[in-house]
Amino acid sequence: MDYRLIADTAILAGEIMLRSGAETYRVEDTMKHILDTAGAEKTEAIVMLTGIIVTINDPGADAVTVMRRIRDRGTNMNRIVEVNEISRKYCAGEVSLEEIRQKLESMKGHRYSTWMYNLATVLVPAGFAPLFGGGIAEIAASAVTGVVSAVLITAGKKTGIGSFILNMLCSVGIAVTAVLLKAWHPALNMDTVIISGIMPLVPGVAITNAIRDTLRGDYISGGARVLEAFVTAASVAIGIGAGIASVSMLWRGGVLL
Amino acid sequence: MEVLLGAAGCFAAVIGYSILVETPGKYILQAGAAGAGGAGVYICCLQLGLGTVFATFLSALVIALLAHTFARIFKAPVTVFLIAGILPTVPGAGMYRIVYYMILNDRSQTAYYLLQTLEIAGVIALAVFIVDALFRLHVNIRKKGA
Repeated sequence: MDYRLIADTAILAGEIMLRSGAETYRVEDTMKHILDTAGAEKTEAIVMLTGIIVTINDPGADAVTVMRRIRDRGTNMNRIVEVNEISRKYCAGEVSLEEIRQKLESMKGHRYSTWMYNLATVLVPAGFAPLFGGGIAEIAASAVTGVVSAVLITAGKKTGIGSFILNMLCSVGIAVTAVLLKAWHPALNMDTVIISGIMPLVPGVAITNAIRDTLRGDYISGGARVLEAFVTAASVAIGIGAGIASVSMLWRGGVLL
Repeated sequence: MEVLLGAAGCFAAVIGYSILVETPGKYILQAGAAGAGGAGVYICCLQLGLGTVFATFLSALVIALLAHTFARIFKAPVTVFLIAGILPTVPGAGMYRIVYYMILNDRSQTAYYLLQTLEIAGVIALAVFIVDALFRLHVNIRKKGA
């Protein structure tokens, strides 16, 4: 068995999964399954949110250890599903190591067109407005904030700015839109509109995953995820605060919270 | 009426979120159904006068059950349905409020939302955990029986 190739393939699968937002234990599990096909005496896979280490150790040969730094993480279910399928097929012996390596390397990220993403960005705030106690006016206003953030996200992705700044800019846009809509239609519940508007940005899933990792005993990943969630929340809150403050400053006395 | 509107809204919102996180097309409707079911339970519980945390716990249980059932029926990882489906109950607004009140220098509100958010995230994790364990038990018993 080629230990090096197996370790490389396992870490590639792990890297794709971790960057797509899979849970820590699932990434470790998948890599361990691939590593175990080497038939070596001892294999280990360790995942910390910002990096992966795998090692294969056999008395007859030198130990193979591969390490990978993970810098950016998002959520991409398509990749998780695909890696899951590929690794299951490989572990069942249906495909060869070279084949799955090729499949992993050629995996593409995006499934939908930009239009679909933009439509989805509008749909999420509009759909959440009723849950936060909004009526027809709030649904419409939330959809408008969704349009604003869709425009900002599309523009931001083209210029390639970092996610912290992009989140902040989107939140500024949402806050400014909400305040202006409130000035135009005073009966509007601005809090509902803002909360619905930031739903695609806030780290609700991230904090829940952080607690899940912590409960499972993955303390390093759990702690890192908690920090990540708070940094994202900070970017959104700073944006909203700055947005509201700047509009009321420009329009002194006219619009207040 | 409120329950229906809330659930329908969450169905649409979860479908939108599923697209944002690149869920394959054949699983999107199921994720939406899991989210709508959870949101329905959540709003019902609130109307019955239960607390936010307990309502979240019950709705997370329902979502996790639905997600595990769908995962078994449609042969996909549980995460695909769980992450999108759980979105309505997850404390995203709470996370925002913590930092927002921190910026406004309002200590008591910050502490209140910090505790509430950790409680909500905790009970969701607990609910997911319980359902995970139940399904694993089920699999283990079947394996032993076979």
